[in-house]
Amino acid sequence: MRHNPAMLMLTRRPGERVVVGEDVVIEVVEISGQTVRLGIAAPESLPIYREEIWLAIEEQNRAAAQATVDALPGTPANAPGRTAGEQP
Amino acid sequence: MSALTVIESSRFGPLQVEPEDVIDFPHGLIGLAGRKFTLLDRNPGSGFLWLHSLEDPALALPVVDPRQFFTPFPLVLSDEDRDRIGAPDPAAARLYVTVRAAPDPAEIVVNLRAPIVIWERRGHQILNNAPEAELEARLFSPVG
Repeated sequence: MRHNPAMLMLTRRPGERVVVGEDVVIEVVEISGQTVRLGIAAPESLPIYREEIWLAIEEQNRAAAQATVDALPGTPANAPGRTAGEQP
Repeated sequence: MSALTVIESSRFGPLQVEPEDVIDFPHGLIGLAGRKFTLLDRNPGSGFLWLHSLEDPALALPVVDPRQFFTPFPLVLSDEDRDRIGAPDPAAARLYVTVRAAPDPAEIVVNLRAPIVIWERRGHQILNNAPEAELEARLFSPVG
């Protein structure tokens, strides 16, 4: 997800495609001013994100993972723990 | 195979997790490593759980079912995410959001934009496309 200085650069026109591996095809659908519309065909199992959304969620996940044991409301400091199993 | 997963949690000490409590995240959690997790109920009754990695003893995130706090909880999924979850009805799956804990409850925020859906011991962090699904939503109103 990070910008890579050694990133492969390709020039494409609207309607032209790039094939990544066996399963991913990216098409330049339309260019309008500063906006490029891409079409991406990939296996359903492969998640695709706008980078800024991916980064925002990553930041939230990492921040959440900083929590200490006693940081939650109603957390007894040394409560005996158990595995939740099925929650109601 | 019915082997227990044993891990020495940096927060909770030794954990023994039954196979039926192992949750597989085929795509992991966004920006975090690993795909095997379990849910720990360390403060019963509070609604807060810990989604604890079974591969990294120091990785655990507090989570909570947003439907306890937000009713109705707006959830708009892409067709791809809907298929990925595997549940016939996403509302029937277990649903959590990550919690950013804080000493002052009024400062506690949850991420409604990227909920975690668990169905049949498989987990996915998905995108909630509901316009009102905030990245940092407060759980409690400030007092006074």
